[in-house]
Amino acid sequence: MIVCVAVVGHQNNPLYIQSFTDADDSLKLRHIVHCSLDVVDERVNNPKKSGPTLNETFLGLLYPTENYKVYGYLTNTKVKFILVTTDLDVKDADVKNFFRRFHAAYVDAISNPFHEPGKKITSKTFAERVSTIVKSFGLSSTG
Amino acid sequence: MGWEVSESCVDSLLTEMVSMYCNRLYANKPELAASRIDAIGYQVGHQLSERYTMERPRFTDHLDAIKFICKDFWSELFKKQIDNLKTNHRGTFVLQDNRFRWVSRMSLDPSENGDLSQENAEAAENKAAQEPNMHLHFSCGVIKGALHNLGIACAVSADPSHLPACSFVVRIKP
Repeated sequence: MIVCVAVVGHQNNPLYIQSFTDADDSLKLRHIVHCSLDVVDERVNNPKKSGPTLNETFLGLLYPTENYKVYGYLTNTKVKFILVTTDLDVKDADVKNFFRRFHAAYVDAISNPFHEPGKKITSKTFAERVSTIVKSFGLSSTG
Repeated sequence: MGWEVSESCVDSLLTEMVSMYCNRLYANKPELAASRIDAIGYQVGHQLSERYTMERPRFTDHLDAIKFICKDFWSELFKKQIDNLKTNHRGTFVLQDNRFRWVSRMSLDPSENGDLSQENAEAAENKAAQEPNMHLHFSCGVIKGALHNLGIACAVSADPSHLPACSFVVRIKP
């Protein structure tokens, strides 16, 4: 199941971070998200020849830690989405689907004229949409 | 999923915005009005580029991003592409639209206001020439905001000498 999603801006400033487990883990999850930013930068700047093409938005599995898998997604506007999950067998297609819906929710949230670019996303609608997407991700991968 | 807005609403909104900034808020300071209108366009362009680059793979270089502006971005906004793109291969691009939609319905005839003496006619002509310029500040802001969001710092200016054809000059900052 998904434990944490995060949106990080192009200057590596956090725009939205939400964890879906008990509060004890939240510091560790923030640390994981922070470390994964380095991996994203490395993937973008040093493309492996055998890896996915340079232009893909979905970066795939960034790195596995002891309990978690971390997936990354980089938009055209250099905004990064990070997904931390404890599922052991997650299909890439499911994660791509998740990121696509998450991207749509993000675009709607920042099209709000009262949202200031670069500041945190405070929209409740966005938070609700994200929890809906997270819940349905859990269902589709176990179902 | 998409919502539709009638084009006349967009035209009315832009006209009212320019009129409010030029005639009420910054009545005697056209440079301030221009920079405010540019800033509004900047935020709009910033948000629109986020939406229109959603499904696309990432751009490899500046030319790709400019081509995106000319083709996809312009089609989403104006249902047509840029008619002509020129570059000097050193960071300057000229985007030419032969019939720019937002000024295509504006009257460009300066002698509209009844009987005028000679000085008034010149002042009216200057004022009438300013109106499309102010609209163009908004469009320049939109282009600038979109490019900044794609990571390209640039300055955008518009050349209104042959309305309704309009050229936008994009200078990429090194």
